[in-house]
Amino acid sequence: MTETALRTPPKPGPGTVSTKNASVRQAGGTFRERSRFAKALLNVLQRTWLIALVFAIWWTASANSTNIFIPSLEDILLSLRRDLSNGVIGSGASYSLTNLGAGLLLAVVVGIAGGLVLGETRRLREIVDPVIHFFRSVPQAALVPLIIGAFGIGQGPKIYTIAFACMWPVLLNTIDGVLGVEPTIRKFSKVYRIPAGLHFRRVVLPAALPQIVAGIRVALPIGITVMVVSELFAANKGLGFYILNSSATFQVPETWAGALLVGVIGYILSLLFIVFERRILSWYFKSGAK
Amino acid sequence: MGLTSQRLLAVAALLAVWQLVIWSGSLPSMTPGVPAIVTAIANAFTSALFWTSLAQTMTAAVTGWVIAVTAGTVLGLVIGSVPMLDRSTSILIDFGRSFPVLALMPVVIMLLGATAQMEIFVVSLSCLWPVLVQTIYGARRMDASVVDTARTFQIPRLLWFRRILLPSATPFISTGIRISASIAILVSVGVEVLSQTPGIGRQITLAQQAQRWDQAFAYLFFAGLVGWGIAGLLNLAEGKILKWNRQAND
Amino acid sequence: MAVQAAPEQEQVATAPLLQVQGLTMSYGFGDAENKILNNLNLEVNDGEFVSIVGPSGVGKTTLLRVLSGLIRPKSGTVSVGGEAISGPHRDLAVVFQDYSRSLMPWMTTLENVAFPLQGRGVGKKERNEAAAKNLAAVGLGGQGHKYPWEMSGGMQQRVAIARALAYNAKVLLMDEPFASVDAQTRFDLEDLVIDLQSNLGVTIILVTHDIDEALYLADKVIVLAEKPATVVDVIETGFGDHRDQVETKADPRFAEARARILHRLRSH
Ligand SMILES: Nc1ncnc2c1ncn2[C@@H]1O[C@H](COP(=O)(O)OP(=O)(O)O)[C@@H](O)[C@H]1O
Ligand SMILES: [Mg+2]
Repeated sequence: MTETALRTPPKPGPGTVSTKNASVRQAGGTFRERSRFAKALLNVLQRTWLIALVFAIWWTASANSTNIFIPSLEDILLSLRRDLSNGVIGSGASYSLTNLGAGLLLAVVVGIAGGLVLGETRRLREIVDPVIHFFRSVPQAALVPLIIGAFGIGQGPKIYTIAFACMWPVLLNTIDGVLGVEPTIRKFSKVYRIPAGLHFRRVVLPAALPQIVAGIRVALPIGITVMVVSELFAANKGLGFYILNSSATFQVPETWAGALLVGVIGYILSLLFIVFERRILSWYFKSGAK
Repeated sequence: MGLTSQRLLAVAALLAVWQLVIWSGSLPSMTPGVPAIVTAIANAFTSALFWTSLAQTMTAAVTGWVIAVTAGTVLGLVIGSVPMLDRSTSILIDFGRSFPVLALMPVVIMLLGATAQMEIFVVSLSCLWPVLVQTIYGARRMDASVVDTARTFQIPRLLWFRRILLPSATPFISTGIRISASIAILVSVGVEVLSQTPGIGRQITLAQQAQRWDQAFAYLFFAGLVGWGIAGLLNLAEGKILKWNRQAND
Repeated sequence: MAVQAAPEQEQVATAPLLQVQGLTMSYGFGDAENKILNNLNLEVNDGEFVSIVGPSGVGKTTLLRVLSGLIRPKSGTVSVGGEAISGPHRDLAVVFQDYSRSLMPWMTTLENVAFPLQGRGVGKKERNEAAAKNLAAVGLGGQGHKYPWEMSGGMQQRVAIARALAYNAKVLLMDEPFASVDAQTRFDLEDLVIDLQSNLGVTIILVTHDIDEALYLADKVIVLAEKPATVVDVIETGFGDHRDQVETKADPRFAEARARILHRLRSH
């Protein structure tokens, strides 16, 4: 799991790759003499036409749907608007997102702390390695019935389930990050007798940060999935509950609306995460480090 | 003391802590102790129901995964090697990959029922994205020299696809395959938990509802074991298949 | 030199095998336009070995990419056998400078050499035989099972040459093929190319920034200079078919030609 994370940051590839391709394409002469504005417009169009098309097809194809399980897109959006404006979805979303935030935060704190310790102590890492890999292989969704069965449908158990599921990618990536710290930087720390606390906080942690953030990026969608599953399994609040409740009361457009909304929220969170990442790692992107 | 015995000791310590916590009474009373879990694990070995459930889960997971890998690789290679398509699909793909597919479960159950086909559908829809996204990365990163070489020798489209684009993207594709394998198990168990489609996930829920916590933990243990085993196997296979990649980029 | 079909014979006697007329090339458009090649003309006859020499950054690679049909010129034409080309061409094979990346690391050496033939629909047995033969011709007989990354830089460049030979093109285009190998390997490869050229009768156009290499290898040296680049000199070396790293380079004509090229490059 860690590897995508490591590979996803948009690093510029080997210089020749991009420049040569660009020149080949330009030499074809398609963009000749166009104003900057037209280019930007073309770019936006290129990126959005397919979404617009999918939307349009869905809209028209479902408009006269006779299948009660496939409501028209119009109905879905109307019920979405209604439940958004009357606050039903709003309160559910704030409950779900609070759980997600708390669970993720817990996972990040525990994951980073554990990762720093394990990354720095080789023997310990080797000893617990199989245990870690076993735990992170346990399908997180299978924990849901157990934790809810044991601790009930309250907020705490949901947060712990999310935290448990999200912890592993953070932990493993932190270990990778610590292991990847430049040996020269380490030596510097040793030579200047930087105290352990300061060494962790000001040397190892920042150096491992790109990897840690990548781990959090992997954890985020896992957290969202576990959040929804825990609410779909048993809850009395939240977005998952909204979907489940709509489905149980045969409010088909609302069921669709809820599911799509969770998707949109997932998408927005991933976009926000990119912004966050750019901020917290600006030194990393600016330095052009790999 | 050797590493292996230290590892075993660590596992033993973990189990001891578990047992102590149980004795201390700080976990809910139904949580099973170590002996109960061990017995349940042993019993599962001889239980036909267990093996059937495991087979059901694995069948759905593997089928959905294979579908996703095939579709994701082909689509990804096409999209990643045609810049116009790449730009057009980028938002749609970003949306798809961040979509928690399990949230669609109630809708999918309405449409397809709580069946094995439904499970396979959800698994392949979830597994598609990592493969697709990784393959697109891989296809985008074609080396300019390789592209030029293939062009000067006028390599036909299909051969180029099969012998150049595909192998050059395999390091990325295999990462996608590995990620999606763990997702396949996660999602198939998740689907079973939520929809009561037959499989390990359903057995865990049933065991929990019947207050057979020892059984539930045993099944959980096996689910983890299977996921672990598959991850290990794929790592091994990747190392073999991609020998050229490591060597060439030493 | 090479055997041609009867009806074309007359044309071949008069027209050069490869001809470049009024070639102009630039990168970018509008304000960002960067003119690289300006109104270039050159001719290469069948069986000739032509070096194109010029300082780094003058536009040699750009010229070679235009010649090989990888990029289209702003204006002007490249013709092969009297016909203007519009893209990569059957009669042109390219050996790139970056040999380590132009060989596919997932194919064995033999597969790499046979691959262009596979693209042309040649059967497996036949293409493998051709590949083995050409590997032997570059001194790599029996090493077809190895992967490129198991070989030294010099050997990899031999594989790239074998691949171009196996393609059986009339013209070999080489972009600084020996720029990134050590000196001894470089001499070996230079002599290999000379041998191959006289044995097989292919036409070679080799681009280099090294004046000695250009002179040593070629029948005709074309000097590129200025910005944007044009042909500032054409020198017939006249060393004949026999070359020797020591003898040829000690030839007074060699020193004279080198001085002339240096002078040309300096004065621009
Ligand atoms: N793809 C490209 N896009 C824009 N400029 C380029 C590109 N390739 C080369 N150039 C520029 O064209 C000039 C000539 O480059 P090149 O043909 O590679 O020179 P040479 O091979 O003689 O060293 C250089 O100034 C280089 O910066
Ligand atoms: Mg060059």
